Amino acid sequence: MLEPRYLGCYQDHGGEGMTPEQSVIAAIVICIVGAVVTLLASRNKTVAGWLAFIFTTATAVVIISTVAHVLISGPGHQQEFPIIPQIGLVLRVYVDGLTAVFLLLAALISVPAALYSIAYMRNYEGYSVARYYPYFLLFLAAMYGLVSTTDMMWFFFIFWQMMTLPGYALIRFEHKNPSNIRAANKYLIMMQIACAATMIGAELLAVTGAAASGSAGLKYDFDTVSANLPAMLSTRPTATALAFALFLIGFGIKMGMWPFGQFWLPDAHPAAPSPVSAMLSGVMIKTGVYGLMRYFLWLVPPAGQADYPLAKWGLLVALLGTITLFTGTMQALKQEQTKRLLAFHSIGQIGYILLGTGVCMSLLPAMGPNAKALAAIGLFGALLHVLNHGLFKALLFLNAGSMLHATGTQDLNKMGGLMKFMPLTAVTAMVASFSISGVPLFNGFVSKWTIYVAAVQGTASAKYLAVFAVIAILTSALTLASFIKFFGVSFLSRSSTLVTARAAEHGRLEIGWSMQLPQVALALACVLLGVVPAIGFRLMQLALDASSQGYGTALAKAAPMQTGLWAGVETFQSTALFAPLVFALVLGLLFLVVRGLSKLGSASRRAAAPWLCGYVSEADCHRYSAHNFYGEIKRYFRWLGGMPKHVEGQRKDTK
Amino acid sequence: MKLAWIILSALCNVAIVLLVAPFFQGVLRKITALIQSRQGPPLWQPYFDLLKLLGKEDIESGQTPVMQRFAAYLSLTTVLTLACLMPMGFPAPLDGAGDAILVIYLLTLSGICTLLAGLAAGSTYSLVGTSREMMTMIALEPLLAVAIVTGAVHTGSFRLDTVLNGSVYASSGFPWSGAILLGVMLLSFQAFVQRVPFDISEAETELMEGPLMEYSGPKLALFKYAQMAKLVIYSALFVGLFVPWGSALPFPLSWLIFWAKVSGLVLLVTLVAATHARYRIDQAIRFFASLLVVALGALILASYGY
Repeated sequence: MLEPRYLGCYQDHGGEGMTPEQSVIAAIVICIVGAVVTLLASRNKTVAGWLAFIFTTATAVVIISTVAHVLISGPGHQQEFPIIPQIGLVLRVYVDGLTAVFLLLAALISVPAALYSIAYMRNYEGYSVARYYPYFLLFLAAMYGLVSTTDMMWFFFIFWQMMTLPGYALIRFEHKNPSNIRAANKYLIMMQIACAATMIGAELLAVTGAAASGSAGLKYDFDTVSANLPAMLSTRPTATALAFALFLIGFGIKMGMWPFGQFWLPDAHPAAPSPVSAMLSGVMIKTGVYGLMRYFLWLVPPAGQADYPLAKWGLLVALLGTITLFTGTMQALKQEQTKRLLAFHSIGQIGYILLGTGVCMSLLPAMGPNAKALAAIGLFGALLHVLNHGLFKALLFLNAGSMLHATGTQDLNKMGGLMKFMPLTAVTAMVASFSISGVPLFNGFVSKWTIYVAAVQGTASAKYLAVFAVIAILTSALTLASFIKFFGVSFLSRSSTLVTARAAEHGRLEIGWSMQLPQVALALACVLLGVVPAIGFRLMQLALDASSQGYGTALAKAAPMQTGLWAGVETFQSTALFAPLVFALVLGLLFLVVRGLSKLGSASRRAAAPWLCGYVSEADCHRYSAHNFYGEIKRYFRWLGGMPKHVEGQRKDTK
Repeated sequence: MKLAWIILSALCNVAIVLLVAPFFQGVLRKITALIQSRQGPPLWQPYFDLLKLLGKEDIESGQTPVMQRFAAYLSLTTVLTLACLMPMGFPAPLDGAGDAILVIYLLTLSGICTLLAGLAAGSTYSLVGTSREMMTMIALEPLLAVAIVTGAVHTGSFRLDTVLNGSVYASSGFPWSGAILLGVMLLSFQAFVQRVPFDISEAETELMEGPLMEYSGPKLALFKYAQMAKLVIYSALFVGLFVPWGSALPFPLSWLIFWAKVSGLVLLVTLVAATHARYRIDQAIRFFASLLVVALGALILASYGY
């Protein structure tokens, strides 16, 4: 019965007649209408959930068709939407390739998150979904808006607040737990600081400019600022540098860059309901990455590029990225709560994205051999990791949600042997864990590989990059360690008392189809992008081709990757290559050979209890739990902080 | 024609690794015995061991036997795939499927299989072993990565045939970075191939084979086989990175020289293993950490062209 409305949205807003800019506005309007409708329907959790899902899907259809349009037939033009023209409040929107990538990410993650929410939110006894679905849709609308507006001041502020305040409400959704309120407050404060920093930066560029031209409404417009920038860079280099430093701080806070991310991100992500954690980590923190790329690489027009110290900013961003990825991951290794562990890994993975961006920035102005092409490879890696991290981290948060749903706890120490009870969730969790740890044939490997290639080969032009690359490779092993623990002690190992009791109580622990489907879809996406990386690389090349400002053209022209279905990806001089399909074929054939080999002796199989060195049964206190893993490494890096505060009762078990 | 050559050389590598690995294990056991004034088993004993294990009863103690089977099959599969990627006396068969970064991650994947096996078995002892194995991997992987990255920095390429051809020495003057890394690798090689004094995760005398404790029959055979083959693979990797001399000779000669070098390396591993006692995990990690600092120093030298 809801089908006609859904179709109506599509036909009204996504048809051929609309420009990409109008479509984005349409998507935002659909979200806002959806927020009102779900608020009215919030008495019934299921109906509100399905309505929210339908509205989210409608916007996703509109957004994806827009993205396809922009990538295939090039960007349109900046378009103005007068909101209150009397006071100069004119919304100016522009959808180019870079915006398209982030719009695509938001659309791809929001639909599974919305579907997952329907059944998941039913579990919250005593909490009304009136404070969930409307905020979810507003939050989504704000992200669409933030990556599309060209206004660096007022509409930036409006969309930023529209993202921050619903985000705040969603994080403190479980407000009966005081720690969630504290987490939400931290988030709110940090986001307001970030907002202020970014707006002061924009003000510096717009007001102190040699020619603060433009009408009142367009004074802070991206294009006006960009046009003023060459004059600014030559006459007032200090003010400009200060503005860029403020941008780095502002967007750094948003994306969870060291040292700012540690303040809010590990508290905020676990406090929110799991689908929102997926949105926060998968999409929201990426708006910081968008801002960083847009302001540092797209803002400076060719005329001002000679005075713009891009290589120095590149060194700073790459260095901060390396510190972020190491500290975030090392702190994650110490965690024993599922979602807190994942939140720290978000910091770690943002570090990889920053490193890729930093590599791009430090190589672009370099004179060395092939520096431009390698810079483009670095940006490809960063953008691909934005997409890939969105997919696998959203999946991991949904997995954590399913585990919470099944066991009622986020504590890894109390879990064990879940694979027997929820096999499908276990397989998707394994795919996600392999993806984030960079196992070949999964999407995380492709983007990390790209970043390593750019960093190592770029060493010829920027000496420090090789060391950064090695630290990134080392951190990848740490990520693996953390996820071996995450996946191993929860899904493998042996059933804990808690899991056995829950299984006996509920009969089954596996989640329903509407929670399975998003997990399976995201897992398939991870595998698809890992096995056919050509899809991702073509997408990014199209995105760069469809963006013309700043360094966009130079990056697009480099076209450093050759891709193909069987050929996989290959860098421009064929100095690095990865052909996953060939590799998968060899691996698969050898797997069959090995399987045949193991059957040669036609040995019989029998199930038996593990040998406990003479003990008859295993008590819970003798289990080797998450807390016990990697003791030595945790001890050596105690100074790095992030040690979990021990939940009551847990220490008593182990000591 | 090219495809036929790829398939033929890949098959050749796989077959040789499968055939030779137990023999090296036999040599290892025999020499260890001789050093310890024992007679030791005959050289072909490992072949018999593997054959016997293949026919033994397969007891699955974990709650998810599917995972145990998957891990066992994948562990030998990964090592054999690596065999297709290595140049062994002639160019790497699968040079067109991946590069040196893939090799680093595949070596990690073969470690992951052991970890999954240990976790799926679910015994406390195998979990202790898993944790130790992972910590060793964390400390070791960067050492190998530094060696490969140094080669890539010198040559500007990640291609297997370029990197695994003495690329660490490819600097313009005296190869300082290559020489330092050779020392680092020699000091840590024992750990890569999981032999005494760095077989901490297995530690037969305290953890009873660690992650593999619960395994028997064909699965144990596969794990053991993978471990033996890993010795060959790592030796081939070491030879490719650090002892490239003679690889440019015509085919049969280069092939013979390659296997002579690998045998020499296996002999060295044996001698060290037979004359040392096992380290504790914290001692080992501290040791690897100091090696890593030295290796990073070498990498910095390499980025400046030394």
